[in-house]
This record gives sequence, structure tokens and C-alpha cells, in this order.
Amino acid sequence: MLKYIFRRLIWMPILLLFVSLIVFILGVYGPGDPIEVQLGNNYDEVNADRIREKMGLNDPVLVQWIRYVGNAAKGDFGESYVFKNRDVSELLIPKLIVSAKLNIISFAIAISLGIPLGFYAAINYGSSKDPFVVIISLFFYAMPVFFTAPLLILVFALQLDLVPAAGWGGVFDKRIILPALTVGIPGAAVFVRLIRASMIEVLDSDYVKLAKAKGVSEIKVLWKHAFRNAMLPVVTIMGFSLAGLFGGSLIVEILYGIPGVGRISLDSVYSRDYPVIMAIVLLGSSALVVANLIIDFVYTLVDPRIEML
Amino acid sequence: MITKFKLILFSLLMLIILSCGGNDSNVETIGKNSNVAPGLASSSEDNTSKTRDNIFRLNFSDPPTFDPALVTDTTSASIIVEIFSGLVTLNKELEIIPDLAESWEISENGKTYTFKLREGIKFSNGDDVTAEDFKWSIERAANPDTGSLNAEVYLGDILGVKEVVESGGSIKEVFGVKVINSRTLEITIDEPKTYFIAKLTYPTAFVLNKEYIEKNGESWIDNPVGTGPFILSEYQIGQTLKLKKNINYWGEKAKVDGIIMNLAGGVSMAMYENDEIDITGVGLADLERVKDPNDPLNRDLVNVPPQFSLNYIGFNVNIPPFDDVNFRKALSYAVDKEIIADKVYSGLTKPSYSIIPPGFPGYSPSIKGIEFNEELAKEYLAKSKYSDPSTRPRIIVTIPGTGGSPGLDTEIISDMWNETLGIDVEIQQVEWATYLQDMNRKRLQLWAGSGWQADYADPQDFIDVLFYSQSDVNHGNYSNSEVDKLIIEARTEIDNNRRFLLYNQAEQIIIDEAAIFPLWFDTDGFALVKPWVKGYEFTPIIVPKFKDVEIK
Repeated sequence: MLKYIFRRLIWMPILLLFVSLIVFILGVYGPGDPIEVQLGNNYDEVNADRIREKMGLNDPVLVQWIRYVGNAAKGDFGESYVFKNRDVSELLIPKLIVSAKLNIISFAIAISLGIPLGFYAAINYGSSKDPFVVIISLFFYAMPVFFTAPLLILVFALQLDLVPAAGWGGVFDKRIILPALTVGIPGAAVFVRLIRASMIEVLDSDYVKLAKAKGVSEIKVLWKHAFRNAMLPVVTIMGFSLAGLFGGSLIVEILYGIPGVGRISLDSVYSRDYPVIMAIVLLGSSALVVANLIIDFVYTLVDPRIEML
Repeated sequence: MITKFKLILFSLLMLIILSCGGNDSNVETIGKNSNVAPGLASSSEDNTSKTRDNIFRLNFSDPPTFDPALVTDTTSASIIVEIFSGLVTLNKELEIIPDLAESWEISENGKTYTFKLREGIKFSNGDDVTAEDFKWSIERAANPDTGSLNAEVYLGDILGVKEVVESGGSIKEVFGVKVINSRTLEITIDEPKTYFIAKLTYPTAFVLNKEYIEKNGESWIDNPVGTGPFILSEYQIGQTLKLKKNINYWGEKAKVDGIIMNLAGGVSMAMYENDEIDITGVGLADLERVKDPNDPLNRDLVNVPPQFSLNYIGFNVNIPPFDDVNFRKALSYAVDKEIIADKVYSGLTKPSYSIIPPGFPGYSPSIKGIEFNEELAKEYLAKSKYSDPSTRPRIIVTIPGTGGSPGLDTEIISDMWNETLGIDVEIQQVEWATYLQDMNRKRLQLWAGSGWQADYADPQDFIDVLFYSQSDVNHGNYSNSEVDKLIIEARTEIDNNRRFLLYNQAEQIIIDEAAIFPLWFDTDGFALVKPWVKGYEFTPIIVPKFKDVEIK
């Protein structure tokens, strides 16, 4: 199995090389130019060209790419074009940590609400409790964050005055409550639907029926036979949520004043801040590769029939 | 020269998203505590506490730089003018007044400026400010190794700056700047340009501490040392920016102990109502509510004066059908701007019929603009060589943005063109960087959604920069030998009244030839200011303003 993991990981740098090359080519041949955006109406071709030359932006794409890869391999992701004299890592790491903290808390909310509720709905399949849970979760799933966030702020910050309207103080600060709920509750709805569907399917399968027929206790059937199998599709989705751990949600961040990575991701595209774009894309790609690997690994734990080859 | 688009973006942010949250309202001393985890540093308990610190709190966004030589954007500039300063500055009436220079003399030929520095001026770390520091700062800004994008724009008139910029770093000395003695600085420029002094109010010309920067290298900017009324005391990217009073400031010291800027976003109106910030802009969405005298927020409402900016539709006179003056005039006559201002913007915008905004130096109310006239519009269309729709080139108006829907004014204007003249215009929206690229290459046929905002208080910044035939930002390729002649004459005219008259003559020709279709001057905006904040003034141009703020 170690061999398998190793084989999968060895592909990662190759994949990242490809990804970086594609981003580079898009950056160079796509419209828009970082110097031009910064100069705005002060643009003057001769001056801009002098600056590009100085920054190495006039070199052939391959030369630029090789230089970037060489530096990145040494852990140097360059300096932002927009934020002068600031390393990309210095710029991004604090924001990534903030986004990750918020995502972990939201994820915890999503799982701790979503899995029991989905489970509850499934075992009550056919009774009136099931559609109730489903409708409630669909309701929350359908609410866009740009609606729920201002609503929560209005109620909890302005009317009830329980929390400040905006800001960030880390995981143990009460200002995390509203954003975490805003992200976590629709997330919980996803898990409710998934768990419910897959539980219902499993509960209807022959081996569960057989187990019941054998006289295995209800709890044991549900827990040991049904639940573990029903978790498989959930693991996949959890894995992809993990891949998004370092991603930011632009709208949530802006509405709640959270210094996460969402806004800089968008801004860097608008301002053609290539070093920042590159770091974000590479990080996202790596996270996806690692998450896939973890998913496969967890599969083998949940379902012993699946083997890593 | 910041385009209108950024302003629109900014006000959109104000409107829908409204920037920023996260203030540590219980932080009494704004010292360096960046090592403390944010979760521990702020418990955010006493938001409602009535014992107010002598600190002004507001929402802001991350400044791309603190280095005066590198600034290209308004966000950085607004902070830099509080931390650094230069020879001259603007007061709130936008007059150029002495700052670190107590006086200056201009030689008879108008080319040599001799500045006398104030006595005993110091940097925030206590070092003396000398004429040598000024010379070094200008040379540093011009040196390509520094990486300034616009040194040439602001300092290029000084003899020797162009040589340094173009040398790629091999030439370091700017020979047009001479140190006479530690308190006397002589700057020589290439032509007797009266507007030169206005450019010195921009951060690129500010003074830096030579010794300090040489000693600390690139990291100096993490703890910048300047001559402004404030010192940067803490900066956490994306979170907070704190300024504290500079006790070494030469003039009247700041009345507040510090400024806390939240950089992380948040619903600004909600934060204001929750007493988390002391000031906020008001977007259209909240305007009606706060204008109601029964609303508790109404007493906090203040007017924000307009920016000196012009929003316009640009014609490219090289690309048919806009090469025909009659066609341009037809379009200009066909639009009823008053109706749009009244019905669409509820009187919040002011239609413009000229180029230099009201209140700006050189503004002339006597410029005769092209006002709505259906008959004349049809007449000019008939006269133009594009009167026949079957042979008329396709017209595409390009606007910046990613929203998918163009601005309301662009839509209505194209509708009016269609109704009055039967001219069809396609609207094409492109993302900002692409828009800029096409505009700078002068290949847009017709464009809207951007504008021109003054960087320094001189009409040269409108007429010369936008319409001189050789100007890089003459995006419509407009060229008129008479206008050029007037502009060149104005450049070296020393008498301001005569100079403004020359600009007005040029302005009238440009308007008569419909080289541009002026839409709106910026109009009053609205903001809320807490009753305990005194002395905060909104200004149309960036000027240092925090030092006069009082918390009572």
C-alpha cells in the first residue's frame, strides 16, 4: 500500500508542472497585463515596456516558466506584483490559515448536523418525520449566502446584539459563529441528503434484510451493517470538502469581514498578479490530489472489500 | 489618474458588500502586538462600552504599498500622505501650501525652484530632515531599480530624471536637483511649467530618510519612517492597519492618539450601527432610510463632496463612423442627459456639457456644450456621410465589468440613439484588464463606463493629458492642430488666468468638435459620521486629513 501511495504522490509534481505551464501560457497569451492594470490611465508604452523588461515579463514563456519552477522548487514563489516587495507566501499564508480555520469549523458543523439528521431521516423513511427533515434541509440548502449572511447579521448583531457584525478573532472568538453557520448549514444539508439516500438504499439491500431476518439487533444492523456502507459516498464528498479547505468563500469573507483567501484570489485575477494566481492554483491542485488519495485510503478503511493496488 | 471604474467598484463595494469589519475596540495602546494570535489579542467584549478611546476607527482596504515612490493607487496614497510628506501639500481647499518647505522662489525664467526647508524638521525616528534627503529621495524614485511605475509622470519634468529612468539604473544622479545647503534645495525643470509644483504634492516626490533606508535595506518599509502626522504602528495584511500619532511631526500634532483601520471587510452599515466603526459611506440601498429624519442615523448623515472627475463616452476619431464630426455631433445631440439624471439617478448625478469639472481650477461656466436637441441631432445625421444605415459600419460600445449587465446609463443612451436616430449600438462588456489593454492600444471604437479623475489640481490634467494629439492617454486619437497649439502655449504660460483661458479655448473647440461625449460630473455622495467624531472632512482629492480628527 505504501508503494501505491508513493506511486500516486510521484505523479503530483508532474501534474503541478502541467498545471503551472497552462496557467503561464494563459497568463501570457490571454488579454490583460499586470503593469497596465497598475498604471491605469498613466499607461505609456515605453515606460511599461521598460518595467516589463526589468521584471522579466518580456522573456519567452518557457524561460519565465522554467525560472518560476526553479524558484518554486526552492520554496520561493516570488513577490506579488501588486503588493510591493511582499513575498507571495508572506501574503497568502496568514489568509490561508484563516480560511482553513473557518472551513474546519464549518465542516464540523456540517458533519455533526448533517450525518445524524440524514441518518434520522433514513430510518424514518416512510413516516412524516422524513419529509420534514428533507424539506428543512433543502430549504437551507437553497438559501444563497448573500441572503442568509445579511439576515444573520441583522438578527444576531443588530437586533439581538449578541455578536459583532463583522470581524475575525480566530476559532475561539464569537465572531466566528455567524460565518461558520452560514457556510456550515447549507453544507449540512448536503450531508443530510447524501446520508439519507445512501442509507435508504443500503437498508433496502439484501444483506441488511438478511441480517434483520437472522435476528440481529436493530442497533447492530443499523450501525454495523448499514451505516458503514452508507458512508462510502459521504467519504467522497468529505474528501472534496477537504480539498477546498484552503479555499475561501468570497461572499462570506466580504460580508463578515474575514481576512481569508477568497478576496485576494479574485483580486489577483483582476489585477493579473501572476505570482499570487499561480500559488493559489498550485495549492488548489495539490490539495485536490492529496484529497483524492485520502479518499481512496479511507475507502479501504470503511469498506474492506476495496483494496489499494 | 484613477479611472471612474475603480470608483464605481468602490461604491459598489460600499453599496452591496460594504467593506470591512474586525476592530479591536478594546485595544488601548496601539502598539506592536502582531505576535499575539488574533484570537487572544481581541476579546471584542466592550463594544458598547461608553468610555471611548481617543482612536478613530474606519473600514479600509489593504494598501498595495507604503513606499511613496511606488504608489499608483488611491488606497496606498491615502495612507502614505498620513505617514509621509513632501515639500508642499494641499489644504482642504485644495490650495498648494508649504509643508516641509517653508517657502520657495521661482526664477525669472520659471524653470528653477529654490525651496527653503523649515528649521528643525525631523523624521518620525528623530533624525533630521535635510535637503540631501530630498535629493536622494527623488533619485531613488527615478532609479529603475526602485521599481516605481510612475516616477516619470510625476518627476519627469525635473532635469535629469528622464536620463535616470531610461538608463536602466546605470545613471543615478538627477542633475536637476541641487543641494545648496542642508536647508536649501534647488530643483530645475525643463520648461517653465506652472503645474509642476502641483505634481510635488503627489507621494512620488515625498522625502524619505536616506540613512534609515540605507541601513535597513528593503525591510525599511515594514517600519516606515516618515515626516507625516502619523506613524504606522501595526499592519497585519488583510486584517488591521494601525496608525499612531507622530510626536516628531513639525506642525500641530494629531488630535487623536491613533487610527484603526479594519481591512477585512464586513457589512459597513451594520458595523457602523453596531458602533464598531466611526464612519461609513452610504450606498443607494440605504440612502432612503438614512434620509428619513425619523431614522436615528439621520443626524449622522453628512454630504460627501464630488470627486473631480468626468464620466464620458469616448469616440475613436480614427475608426468609422466616428471619423465624421457630424456623426459624433448627431449622437451627442440625441441624448437627453437631464432626463437620465432626473429619472434614473434621482438627481444624484450632474449632467456635464464640458470637460473641466465645476470647482476645479480652470472650470469655466461659459463653455457652450452640446445640449439635447432632437432636430439638430437628425440634421447632423443627415449631413454625415454615415446617414445611410445600410452602409454604416457596425457600432460597438465597449464597457468594463464582469457583471453581465452594462450600466443603466449606457443602456438608456444606446436606446435614445436608437429612438431618435435609428442607430443601433451593440454593447460589449469586457473584463477590466482587457478593457484597459484595448483602450491603451487606442483600438476601442466607442467606449463607456470609465472616466477621468484629477490627480493634481490643474486643468492641464484634463485638457493636455486627454486631448493633446501626442498624449498616451488620448485614447480616441483626437488631433486638432489648433488645440495642440493652445495646449503647448498653456504649458509655459506663467500667468494662471491667461493659462486657464487657453485651456478653456481648447476645451471649447474639443466640445464643438464632439471629440468626446461628456456624461456626468461626479456628484455629492453621502456618509455617516458618529457624533463624537469632529473635524473629519471629505475632500475631492487625497489630502492628509486624519490629524484634524477629534474624538469627543
